[in-house]
Amino acid sequence: MGAVALSEGTSSSLRPPMLAMRGVSKTFGRARVLNDVDLTLQSGEVHALLGENGAGKSTLMKVLFGIVPPDAGEIEIDALGAVQIESPRHALSLGIGLVSQELSLVPQLDVAQNIFLGQTAGLDIVPRGRHREAAVEILQSLAPHLQVATPVSKLGMADRQLVEISRTLARGGRIIAFDEPTSSLTPQERDGLFQVIRGLRDAGKAIIYISHRMEEIRAIADRFTVMRDGKVVATDAMEKYADTQLNELIAGRELSLAMEGRPAPVEIGEAPLFEIRDLSTTRLRNVALSVRPGEVVGLAGLVGSGRSAIMRAVFGIDERTGGEIRVGGSRVDIREPKDAMRAGIALIPEDRRGHAIVPMMSVEQNFGLANQKRFSRFGVLRGAARRAEARKYASDLQIRPPNIQTPMANLSGGNQQKVVIARWLATGARVLMFDEPTRGVDVGAKAEIYALLRQLAAAGAAVLVISSELPELLLLSHRIGIVNRGRLTQTLENGSHLNEDVLMRHATAGGLS
Amino acid sequence: MIQSAVKTPSLTTPASTTPSFNRDLFRQASVLIGCVALFAIFSILTSSFYQPSNLIDIMLQSSINAVIAVGMTLVIITRGIDLSVGSIVGLSSMVASDLMSHNIALGIVAGLLVGMICGLVNGLLIAKLKLPDFIVTLGTLSVFRGLALIYTNGQPIYGLPDGFRAAFGGQLLGVPTPVIMAIVVAGLAFFLVRFTALGEQIVALGGNEEAARLSGINIDRVKIVVYTLSGLLSSLAGFVLIARIGAAEPIGGNGFELQAIGAAVIGGASLFGGVGNPLGSLIGALTLGGLQNGLTLMNVPSFWQYVASGVVVILAVYADRLARPRR
Repeated sequence: MGAVALSEGTSSSLRPPMLAMRGVSKTFGRARVLNDVDLTLQSGEVHALLGENGAGKSTLMKVLFGIVPPDAGEIEIDALGAVQIESPRHALSLGIGLVSQELSLVPQLDVAQNIFLGQTAGLDIVPRGRHREAAVEILQSLAPHLQVATPVSKLGMADRQLVEISRTLARGGRIIAFDEPTSSLTPQERDGLFQVIRGLRDAGKAIIYISHRMEEIRAIADRFTVMRDGKVVATDAMEKYADTQLNELIAGRELSLAMEGRPAPVEIGEAPLFEIRDLSTTRLRNVALSVRPGEVVGLAGLVGSGRSAIMRAVFGIDERTGGEIRVGGSRVDIREPKDAMRAGIALIPEDRRGHAIVPMMSVEQNFGLANQKRFSRFGVLRGAARRAEARKYASDLQIRPPNIQTPMANLSGGNQQKVVIARWLATGARVLMFDEPTRGVDVGAKAEIYALLRQLAAAGAAVLVISSELPELLLLSHRIGIVNRGRLTQTLENGSHLNEDVLMRHATAGGLS
Repeated sequence: MIQSAVKTPSLTTPASTTPSFNRDLFRQASVLIGCVALFAIFSILTSSFYQPSNLIDIMLQSSINAVIAVGMTLVIITRGIDLSVGSIVGLSSMVASDLMSHNIALGIVAGLLVGMICGLVNGLLIAKLKLPDFIVTLGTLSVFRGLALIYTNGQPIYGLPDGFRAAFGGQLLGVPTPVIMAIVVAGLAFFLVRFTALGEQIVALGGNEEAARLSGINIDRVKIVVYTLSGLLSSLAGFVLIARIGAAEPIGGNGFELQAIGAAVIGGASLFGGVGNPLGSLIGALTLGGLQNGLTLMNVPSFWQYVASGVVVILAVYADRLARPRR
């Protein structure tokens, strides 16, 4: 099979490319997110787009799909001259489809309605019957098990993706981008998706495939492009590069230092500092977990498995239906985030932009948000005291720029994250929960955040970390808890016997509901 | 003790000390420039506009709106809206003028209390029942107006005590008391927003409600407080209205909501939340007042003035929309 694809790939390079993006640049505020990016795709190829979080992959896809207008550069399809892609609607009409992490389906509508959503204009009556027939035809080759009249809300993640792909095909889609499509799929579902993608490739479509998982890229991609800090650093055929070479291209350095190894042994206290007993919510069932002072405990699991739900329940965001939370041996009653804060618990949330920062407020103000009692007297802010402390954290955590009056929106992801961490350290919290602490964080800041996390544990904090990047968990955690369908199924001691495969197997045991 | 452990070797990188372009200052400057430009234009177009007596008149006419707009600004900073302010003016001034016939102080206290209770009801419905602010205050706009009409079966109340009229419609050292009141109210609100913990909570709530909540801020309480303040200030503005007319009408304050929202937005408050300055709203009220006064002097029929005010408000919102950096 590989040979067939290969010979096709080589012969096709003489034909004009199906998609050519040339010199695409984009700046947000002061951050140059895309810098003179080229990307070329042939018909019948699966092209892996690789890079760390924040390297610019997703922005490039948004440019391609007409969500983000580029500052410079051009896009050409079938060598028919440059086109300005003005909207997702325009992109769809050009045959470009995007299957992203957040699917754009309407759960209340059925499969056929979703596939043809937006295809009927104005006051025209929607030709339901014709749409259903056409949907059946499309689904026949792609997903014969799907019924066109099923509401999408009743479908699992994998089936929803198939609907999304069908929608693209119904529009005559020929260039289809997949952005982290397997992040919430079981291995079986993933294999099914790969079958579909190979089918599309063999039918002459051009596929862009974004993923962090090297073994997936090996299995599916013919060629690759690596992006780093908004630039393309390499583009070539997959078989010319070994995994380690690709990983080094992605990281931009030799990996031995930051990304390998296990947590250094530290003196871990005996009695747990933080304990969850029998915790239940609508999404969790009887979760039990304890973290001793000095210990870092990781939580592994698929997206949607309940990893974040544990932190949300502990922090008083989701309502608990049962169980208790203990800090320092005594039970704490947490109903709202402010109760958790009072109990010495901190949450650094996954969605920094949505849940952690106020972009138009300054670094100092963002820092002070959880510390207003300390920095005010009779309700009036004590500016000098807060400034002094914010400055101290800014220099200790190497926040850049060091000017604490800078609006938060002007900081890079990594530096915003440091401000959020500083905010919680200033509360004196001893239980620190990090949900995807390095998402959208550049390489340098990533290493700093790892170092910080270790220091905090070494100083006696109880640290809980969620990460979808399993190497990160293996690097940081003393123990790793496996979350699967709302349960904490087991907790494994980290050591040489643990690796990504073992974790994945545990995390997907029993399949998804 | 955990904090003290955070000691990374001070590998100080050269600071990128380019002073960041001060967007807030620009916003405030353009508010002021807009107001001055408008006044300059009318001064050229009409000979009576720039007379001191007319300028004082404009300030006096704008003061009612300014006081309401300050409360509205606080609401708008939280990304909320209060459409019921005009009806609160009507209801609270009816109750106040009725009880004033017994005792002036009693009337004043009762009027302010009614305003606060109306605002409290708005705040509770929005914060505790999680209802949309727009619909809640559109509903109470009708409820409070209805109660004002029911109170005297639609009849106005005449004959307000002279002491009351002097306090809320008189002069102090040659300056009309409503003007002084508007300036003091705006100054206090400015202090609240800039220098108090509550003020920062108001801004944070409007800037990112979820981040504020996850920082342990009691967002329900902040919402309830701003709507209560908006109600309180509406009743205060109502006093100026009835003191000037010398009577309270149940339909008093009708349509004030658009004026107040307009003053706040012209003054730099953003309906997208997180941005607003009570002093700017004071200037916004003055701008709208100057516009109406100037159009009157130019003999533009009052019906057209409705059109003009509405257009100006929508333009201000559009300017705010353009000023927002998009991602």
